[in-house]
Amino acid sequence: MRCREVVACWDDMRSGAEPRREDVLVHLRACTDCQAAYAEFEGVAYCLSCLPVAPPPQSLVPRIMAHIREQCEQVHVHRTVFVTVLEAPIGRLFVGYRDAGIVYLRVDRGEEMHDVSAALEHRLHTSALPAHGEPPAWVREAIALFFSGEQTADAVIDLSDLTDFEREVFGAAARIPRGEVRSYGWLAREVGRPNAARAVGQALANNPIPLLIPCHRVIDCKGRLHRYVYGVELKRRLLELEGYRQEETPADVRTS
Amino acid sequence: MTALLLEAPPALEEILVANVARPEILRRAIPSAERFERIVEDYERRLFGFALRMTGNREDAEEIVQDAFVRAYRALAKMPAEHRAELKLQPWLYTITLNVTRNRLRSKKPTNVALDALADPDALLHQNNLPSETPEQVVERSADMALVERALLDLPVHLRAAATLRFIEGRSHPEIAEILQQPIGTVKSHVHRAVRILRRVLGPQVGRLVHEGDAAHALP
Repeated sequence: MRCREVVACWDDMRSGAEPRREDVLVHLRACTDCQAAYAEFEGVAYCLSCLPVAPPPQSLVPRIMAHIREQCEQVHVHRTVFVTVLEAPIGRLFVGYRDAGIVYLRVDRGEEMHDVSAALEHRLHTSALPAHGEPPAWVREAIALFFSGEQTADAVIDLSDLTDFEREVFGAAARIPRGEVRSYGWLAREVGRPNAARAVGQALANNPIPLLIPCHRVIDCKGRLHRYVYGVELKRRLLELEGYRQEETPADVRTS
Repeated sequence: MTALLLEAPPALEEILVANVARPEILRRAIPSAERFERIVEDYERRLFGFALRMTGNREDAEEIVQDAFVRAYRALAKMPAEHRAELKLQPWLYTITLNVTRNRLRSKKPTNVALDALADPDALLHQNNLPSETPEQVVERSADMALVERALLDLPVHLRAAATLRFIEGRSHPEIAEILQQPIGTVKSHVHRAVRILRRVLGPQVGRLVHEGDAAHALP
């Protein structure tokens, strides 16, 4: 038995995590180096275990809980997202909403409700439940307004689950007028990060509220539609619905 | 303990009943503040002790523990149910506390903890004093303890964490590996390195303290 092997297991033996091994004990009795090293180890361990810790003067629990309640109380009820299904001109939509606004939208491609709420929870790190009964009127109205050609009001969208960068990108995307398109680069400049066109593209690719946050109005700098979460075909259809003709180049490309 | 987290908090129950056809969805519920309070009660002392040994400062330790619990609560609220069901609460709380401690130590210049004072001067009195001890011996022991504490605080953070968890918190090697998210071999080697450094720094104190405490746990 080598000294190294002995050193590696004496701590576990001493604390009872491993059974006492006769071969280790035999080595320890015979090897003076190991004996000395073990005594040192034991001594330091003992000294550390003696360090006194008085508990906090008064319990920290009330303070901690007050802090948590203050910061997170609303998490419970107000943060839960309800998911409902609405009919729209382009098919069925799953819409996730809470009091603060719509947080999630997904075009139905034959998924089950629980797949959608799982995807929502994964994307937004919040809890989601299928809505019971009719969704609130403002949710229906927001969707209806979009398809009737109105610009979506900021107030019906809740971006609070997203990162600051995503919020800025989506905020800027929401300002693209209906019937027009902008490039990824334009959006990047709009949020003050002119070199971040790819990051903008990435953020848009994970847009939790497509349609209402009109990521379909963002195309590449050469005027190509590039990609869309539900396929370029739907992107084209949406843009046509909004009165955009594909021959046009993005406004900012034209001017530059 | 983990089971606590899986039950629906009272505040949510109404909503859940009104909205949920399948009872298994209850598992999605966020832990309520009321239930979380029990977790705080169970772990505050332990985490406070750990933070105190890591920082050597009671105020820092209090703030670290507070911050750690707030983070834990937020993380639990965001955690998918299946993760929550598998969560090992204790190592997880230690890990959070350690991360908060690291951030704090990083942002703070190393303070010079007074060499002549333990972070816990009163604690020594509450400890079970050895029956035969004279007042002089108590004073000497207190001074020795202060040096032990100082030496521990002078260790690099990763060694200090390993030694504290092993010898003060009494965690097993696999548990420490989980807390520090390191292989067990690395943990053992850090513990040994910490011991070697402490022994070098604390030679005489170790001898005296061990002698007084009559720590004859020797293996052979």
